[in-house]
Amino acid sequence: MSAFVVGAAKTWFGPTSRPLAELAQEAVLGALQDAGMSPDDLGAFIVANFLGGPNEGQLHLNSVVAGLFPGTRLPSWRVEAACASGGVAVHQAVLSLHAYDPILVLGIERMSDVVGAELTRNIGMAGDALLDQAVGLTFPANYALVAQCHMREHGTTTRDLELVSLKNHANANLNAKAHFHHKRVVQSDIDGGPTVAAPLRLFDCCPISDGAAAVVISARPTGERSVRIAGSAVASDVISLVQRETRTGFPAAREAARRAYEQARIVASDIDMAEVHDCFTIAEIVAMEDLGLAKPGEAVELLRSGETAIGGRIPVNASGGLKAGGHAIGATGVGQVVELVAQLRGEAGDRQVAEASTGVAHNVGGIGGTCSVHVLTKDGDR
Amino acid sequence: MRRDCPSCSRTYAYDVPVCTFCAVGLEERTSAAGTVAAVTMVTAPSIGHEDVPYWTALVDSADGVSELLKFDREVSVGDEVPMSGGKAAHLEPVGVIGTGVMGRGLVELLLTRGHDVVWVGRDADRLAKARVRAMDRLARVMDEQQLAECDTRLHVSTGYEILSDREVVIEAVAEDLATKIDVLRAAEPHLRPDAILATNTSGLPLDDLACVLSRPERFGGLHFFNPANRMRLVETSVAEATSQEVSAFLDDFALSLGKTPVRVASKPAFVVNRCLMPLLNEAVRTLEEEVAPAESIDEAVRLGLNHPMGPLALADLIGLDVVIEIMDNLARRTGDVTYEPRPTIRRLAAEGKLGRKTGTGFYTYDR
Repeated sequence: MSAFVVGAAKTWFGPTSRPLAELAQEAVLGALQDAGMSPDDLGAFIVANFLGGPNEGQLHLNSVVAGLFPGTRLPSWRVEAACASGGVAVHQAVLSLHAYDPILVLGIERMSDVVGAELTRNIGMAGDALLDQAVGLTFPANYALVAQCHMREHGTTTRDLELVSLKNHANANLNAKAHFHHKRVVQSDIDGGPTVAAPLRLFDCCPISDGAAAVVISARPTGERSVRIAGSAVASDVISLVQRETRTGFPAAREAARRAYEQARIVASDIDMAEVHDCFTIAEIVAMEDLGLAKPGEAVELLRSGETAIGGRIPVNASGGLKAGGHAIGATGVGQVVELVAQLRGEAGDRQVAEASTGVAHNVGGIGGTCSVHVLTKDGDR
Repeated sequence: MRRDCPSCSRTYAYDVPVCTFCAVGLEERTSAAGTVAAVTMVTAPSIGHEDVPYWTALVDSADGVSELLKFDREVSVGDEVPMSGGKAAHLEPVGVIGTGVMGRGLVELLLTRGHDVVWVGRDADRLAKARVRAMDRLARVMDEQQLAECDTRLHVSTGYEILSDREVVIEAVAEDLATKIDVLRAAEPHLRPDAILATNTSGLPLDDLACVLSRPERFGGLHFFNPANRMRLVETSVAEATSQEVSAFLDDFALSLGKTPVRVASKPAFVVNRCLMPLLNEAVRTLEEEVAPAESIDEAVRLGLNHPMGPLALADLIGLDVVIEIMDNLARRTGDVTYEPRPTIRRLAAEGKLGRKTGTGFYTYDR
């Protein structure tokens, strides 16, 4: 497998009134300019999106995005795998390079037009209609059950969840593209947060964000700033927690990690930094264990000792993660790759992780029904 | 629920007939009860789950069946709770008297919820037509198999004798005291002594109906709203003589049908019509005073009060004869003449323009 990210960009994640096409164009143009390319250079593009249909009555998004490339008639399609849509789209681009090169992957989501009960229902569509949705198992509720099982099995505490939140909010303050870039979150904010689905409270939950992220992927590097995709894997699993034996981890994430590491010829201890799917604080802890960054039940030790902060041994979610960086669902998995590219190029500014040469992006759909893992490396290192 | 493959021993948590690997039939495993392994109190509402908080629990049984269950009360890890493999909830056989819009809506609702239904009407021809109409409406949401199964649970008759095995009988005839008294009096002797007899009155005094019965303690009010299968409210009410048991049953029964019961005193028109009728009357008065034409009045109320439908269109939907009955009852029983229907309502009704059901009311409808 030979694949490189040759261009990457994302919009600010957060509520915006800008329509889909305009939001998409900012990310697309940014990625193309970063790659030093024009749309004429593209072989194909893939659009990752989750809720265009229910939220906006807009499906057929690849054709919407084709409007940004008038006259090109590029091959294109849309990928949907709930919150893992972005990671799956990147994986599909890597697999498609033999036919089309380069491929632009655009992740995009608009969520802020739909509010409250309707949006919670729509996001819940990532769960099984009969097993989950019918019994009110919304996504906060899903992750609340995981948190409760994790707490009982491993002694994880609500204080550990707060540490994830505080760390990621602090990181977001260093990231101008983060949803909560300007919001300082301190302990008293967390203490004042209402319960959403016990034991998860407001500051355990990621925000509802609009946003877009794009990467241009090619089989050949275009220069020193190209970042290698050394491993790319997707794994799937049953959709509902109730169908699963394991409730404190996601077997699909473990399997995707195993395959991606094997491709990249790395072991977990080679990883310098990780962007993981922390849609809820507990999810970051689960992700670290699924990625092998810590043994089951031991991720909290790294967290408590500050090893996952920027400057720690294994920084997790230096971007602010989904928790504070924002979760523009379809854009999230692509945005994680954009962050790793910036970090591995040494262009991450205030939040730069020192001497990062191997990073992983971990993207989860639903409650672990789809997981993608990507290993990115500075070219030449491996 | 779990389904196991007898050949390869793979387990499925879906209601599928065969093993995807072996293509042999799966064996179903269910459990009657299990232990709560994890539970979350959900305080953020979503569509379909508006009433918060509620509790969703992950329940495991000793024999390896897991289920997610929703509760409207607090449950804790370790609690023993019934699972769907247990004995199915008892579904009372129900009788419905009346073939009007409400009677038909109730029959559709009860069939949809799995009840065995006996439907009694005065006129064989109307009853047959109503049955066809009800099944047609169910056919929009059911497949052939479900529909055929519903058909076996629906029995119609013009005689009250057929009600003799019913646990619950709901009277849904015209909203007129004399008519209801006639029907209740005629039906009661045919019922089981322990049957519960309910009226779907929208606001007649329960005591005036109970007093003609020989078992008033088995009588109560269940006021459903049209369309009965979609509207979530049931106004429940009791007469002086209604027993505690029957009183509690009225709310439980509404809940079992997926409705939200609201207990109201047996005062004229209960809550909803008490609030609605003056609104309808005032809309008509606004029309009479030429404040705005009908379409504009309805649009203004829809947009300004966030009502799904304007008051004049709603009056047409309810039927102006029904509106007049409710308003006259209200005026008579409260002694307040402002409840009396406005002249325009009476005029339209006198001209036979009763709203949607006759094709003309405040509006004209394509029939």
